[in-house]
Amino acid sequence: MRETPPGEQVVYRHMGLQDGHLLAVARERGAYEAARKAFVMGSAAVIEEVKKSNLRGRGGAGFPAGMKWSFIPKDTSRPHYLICNADEGEPGTCKDREILRRDPHLLIEGMIIAAFAVQAERGYIYIRGEFTREAEVLQRAIDDALTAGLLGENCLGSGFRFHLAVHRGAGAYVCGEETGLIESLEGKKGQPRVKPPFPANVGLYDCPTVINNVETLAAVPMIIERGGDWYASLGVPKSNGTKVFSVSGHVLRPGNYEVPLGIPLKSLIEDYAGGVRGGWENLKGVIPGGSSTPVLRAEVCETIAMDYESLAKAGSMLGAGSVIVMDKSVCIVRAIARLSRFYRHESCGQCTPCREGTGWLAQIMRRLEAGEGKNGDVELLQDVCASMSGKTICALGDAAAMPVAGAIRAFPEEFAYHIKHGRCMVG
Amino acid sequence: MPTLIINGKEITVAPGTTIMEAARQLAIYIPHFCYHPSLPVAGNCRMCMVEVEKMPRPVVACAMPASEGMVVRTESPMVLQARKGVMEFLLINHPLDCPVCDQGGACDLQDLALKYGPDRSRFSVDKRQVRNKDLGPLIETEMDRCIHCTRCIRFSAEVAGTEEMGAMHRGDHMEVGPWVEGPLTSELSGNMAEICPVGALNDKPFHFQARSWELTTSAGVCGHCAVGCHLRWQQLQGQVKRILADTCPTINSSWICDKGRFACDGLSHARLTVPMIRKEEALTVTTWPQALARAGEILQGVAPEEVAGLAGGYHLAAEDLFAFQDLLRHAIGTPHLDHRLQQRDFSADEQPLTRGDFLLNTRLADLPSADCIVLVGCDPRQEAPILNWRLRQAALAGARTFVLNTRRLQSTLPGLETWVQPPGREAEFLDQVQKALKAKKPGATPAARLAAALKEAKRPVILLGAQALHHPQAETLRRQGVAILDACGALSEKWNGYNLLAPSATAVAAQDLGVVPHRGPGYRPVTPVGHNAGEILRQAAAGKIKVLLLLGADPILDGVDPDLARAALAGVRVIALATHRSPATERAAVVLPAAVATPEQDALLVNGEGCVQRSAQAIPPPGDARPAWRILRALSDTLARPLGYNTLVTLRAALAAAVPVYDLAATGDDAPPSVTRSLADKFKKVPAAANGHGLTLVLEPAFWFADAVARASTTLDKLAPRRQVRLNPEDATRLGVRDGQRVRLTSGERSIDLRAGIDATIPAGTLFGRYGQGEEEAHHLGDVAEAFPEVEVTPLS
Repeated sequence: MRETPPGEQVVYRHMGLQDGHLLAVARERGAYEAARKAFVMGSAAVIEEVKKSNLRGRGGAGFPAGMKWSFIPKDTSRPHYLICNADEGEPGTCKDREILRRDPHLLIEGMIIAAFAVQAERGYIYIRGEFTREAEVLQRAIDDALTAGLLGENCLGSGFRFHLAVHRGAGAYVCGEETGLIESLEGKKGQPRVKPPFPANVGLYDCPTVINNVETLAAVPMIIERGGDWYASLGVPKSNGTKVFSVSGHVLRPGNYEVPLGIPLKSLIEDYAGGVRGGWENLKGVIPGGSSTPVLRAEVCETIAMDYESLAKAGSMLGAGSVIVMDKSVCIVRAIARLSRFYRHESCGQCTPCREGTGWLAQIMRRLEAGEGKNGDVELLQDVCASMSGKTICALGDAAAMPVAGAIRAFPEEFAYHIKHGRCMVG
Repeated sequence: MPTLIINGKEITVAPGTTIMEAARQLAIYIPHFCYHPSLPVAGNCRMCMVEVEKMPRPVVACAMPASEGMVVRTESPMVLQARKGVMEFLLINHPLDCPVCDQGGACDLQDLALKYGPDRSRFSVDKRQVRNKDLGPLIETEMDRCIHCTRCIRFSAEVAGTEEMGAMHRGDHMEVGPWVEGPLTSELSGNMAEICPVGALNDKPFHFQARSWELTTSAGVCGHCAVGCHLRWQQLQGQVKRILADTCPTINSSWICDKGRFACDGLSHARLTVPMIRKEEALTVTTWPQALARAGEILQGVAPEEVAGLAGGYHLAAEDLFAFQDLLRHAIGTPHLDHRLQQRDFSADEQPLTRGDFLLNTRLADLPSADCIVLVGCDPRQEAPILNWRLRQAALAGARTFVLNTRRLQSTLPGLETWVQPPGREAEFLDQVQKALKAKKPGATPAARLAAALKEAKRPVILLGAQALHHPQAETLRRQGVAILDACGALSEKWNGYNLLAPSATAVAAQDLGVVPHRGPGYRPVTPVGHNAGEILRQAAAGKIKVLLLLGADPILDGVDPDLARAALAGVRVIALATHRSPATERAAVVLPAAVATPEQDALLVNGEGCVQRSAQAIPPPGDARPAWRILRALSDTLARPLGYNTLVTLRAALAAAVPVYDLAATGDDAPPSVTRSLADKFKKVPAAANGHGLTLVLEPAFWFADAVARASTTLDKLAPRRQVRLNPEDATRLGVRDGQRVRLTSGERSIDLRAGIDATIPAGTLFGRYGQGEEEAHHLGDVAEAFPEVEVTPLS
């Protein structure tokens, strides 16, 4: 069993702290000192430092955060907004929740620094509706920070003004998509917007807006504290820094593990998550980045490294780092059918390929799973996936198509068996 | 100015132009469903995907802005593959009921399925079924066919401003429909059926009436109000089955209102189709020669100045009005003619007013750029819905909007500030505004706030509507409007903010062509000056006028004083050129059936901004009905004083010679009409209502029943309650009146029984009734000629 020593962690460094969510305890461990440093550095230097760190968005898309911030137009009279995406809804993901619950001041500090960098006077934390306790903890932390003068009209006495509000979602997965989130925040139905324009120019209330994931923002204080070069020295080239992996499924010690990017998947599972149930040989496959990422066969898992490039090369994605481990008791068709049902339920219905495609996929997957599949269904699934991928307003269409197409690619024999015999290969 | 290449053709477009618009400029068609040039972009159907070099995925042409050096292909293999995928998705749940679909043959989905659709379905389970929604009497729904393009939703939110439509649920359970089921409240709702790319929303009166390919379509101009929208008449066997909007960027863009669209069944109800003469008290059918001979006898049996003419009613062609005044003035020789049946204040007739004083001088296309709009006695949503949409565009762009009226409006103008004035107090308010404009210190009164807004504005607009035009102090209000704009410097050639909204195209043409007692065609003064509309009726009732020639007008329905009109018609012999049966034709000695100018004749119409437009004939007049100008010409023959034209060409030449703006060949670059300024006027107060026991009656024109065709329409009949007066909830409680209860209205000697409607927009102490819906309406209470009568309301059990 291995655990990353707290000193090598970035966003989970203070997880073990008793009552770490309280301001007094957080100040004790040095919270808000990075923000103070940022105010001295100036906003351009902060952006430069984050660029240097090569911190990539931890919500799933992996877009460099510093670059995102630098897209905010400088010469506009419109107000700027900063939004934290805390709508952690990807099946398999539970990493942000811990930060919200145990170290909210780390997030708030990260937001103060980010807001200062992009000159946003208002920030919103859009938090998943089911996170009731987390919202309460977060609100208390904001209230305390406001009372202590860390937030508000004069953050830490720097003259910088930043107000922060928590907005609770109502349970729609699509509101985790950044423009769907913005629509929902504006009080409208959560339907993603057509891009361009991008939120950096036309975002919340049509004003320049930066949206970052909780984990991304939580990494910012440490980057400011120790420098972008230090952060970039962690992990592997192009995938720098640490990442929290939520390991779930058939492992003996499921949980969130913050490790440097590029760690071998086998090491993550065997050394950190207690190993596969029944031993490594009992592994069937792993969904490496959350429900929308294509599944990897056990043979691939043997050697793959957990970084953006390696997984892309293997035909999957790092996503939000949600590692779903499946042993040999799992029927892949059944597992994917369940995911298809999820995406059908969560499609916003706005654009044609996603509205009709998710429903169609779920119907075919259901009949395959029920043993009513027909010859040609696999090809039909592939066609439907191809007609959806890259044709939709937001990434939900791809998210629904990828696991299906990926599972057919990785486990064609299971699909064939279902059609031929009308039942699973396993059990 | 980015330059891009689409299918090998280079084009330079304005920044912000989308690929779709750039392709349209190159006449390259990119298939689409959700895109509509007059609606905000949604980008949801995904049919317009195109390939752009260096972009990994296809992009939607409707939403992607053109950028420098872009290389676009609209028909590449990648694009075709993508479109086929979208088409298959759209068809899996779309019913295969094209043979019984009204959209069949004129359906975007059908057309594009031919090119991009699969020839067989791979979707083997049951298609989605969606419950139909009740949208009222104008729109029929078949929601299984909906492809979720959201055009109707965007129309409702952006154009109509009523936000009635939305998408419930999500994913493939998403259903498009009204938030609250029931009749749509928008006066533009028919457009939703027209822009629906499939057969989900259909024109209800047209439902199952014809197949679209059987219809003959011709372009024309609507004459129901003074906007003059371009539309397409679709006829089958001489009957207009459906009306669609036609595109005219400077007037109606691509929208028309529900009256323009749905009144068409009024063309075939209650029509006069044969000439009739009165024999032994009853009207009997006769031939044209006999009817004309009888009319000639009547006209020749009296002295010329004992004849008077009244024009009005449905949109008459300019040719009809020109021939009318020509016949009366020159063939008969009488100066007594008018068209202003609803006007109470004729004091402007003493002034040398000109064309600009009667027009919308801010062109419709320029209204959206106004930054401060003041409505005086005007309900644009009722009086001219498309004009209201133009005002809405201005308001959405940030213009401040104000209305001075006797009640709150149910307006679609965002941020409309309303000042409700008791009936007759409007001029006092405007007087305060004038004073506030001159004052050095800004005040806090409503009038001062309006003055401040006007002072700030760079492009202010004042719009005088029906209530102002028919006000006992109409001329005062008009001059105040002119004076206020003059003080703001908004009467220049660069920006003329003075707008008088004429009640109809007929009214504008009648002013232009001299169907008034004091001016001839082209605003030239005439001598002697004849009697105005009110005076003609009084003289007729007194027996001094002996013959009335009516051209489409019905003084009983349209006049301010129906009792006087009844007395007048009882005492004279009436020659009625009319399209529909009405109380006046029932009382006529000779009835000459006339064509409805549009669509039954080739006609010139002028709209409220003075724009002369030609509308082609779409259908023949019913039976023996003829264009009014032909009847008038024939009548001049029987008088042996033939008018100087016998064909449309010679008539138009005479018309253009008299009033050059009516020359269709003219270049149109004359100086814009100017407004007559600085006419001194001291407003006189309107006497307050008598004893304070009753409610003050205010009459409004009935939008849905403002003309003969609309009155005869059974479709429109389903929309508007007839025989109704509306009162404030407080007054209703005090008087013990429930909503929908029958009440007796008493004023002096007269009383009438009507249904009461309770309406919170009506201020306490007033009672609102309507003109023109029939003989049993509030305005038949009489005594409304001078001002606002007081009426006692008693509930009936």
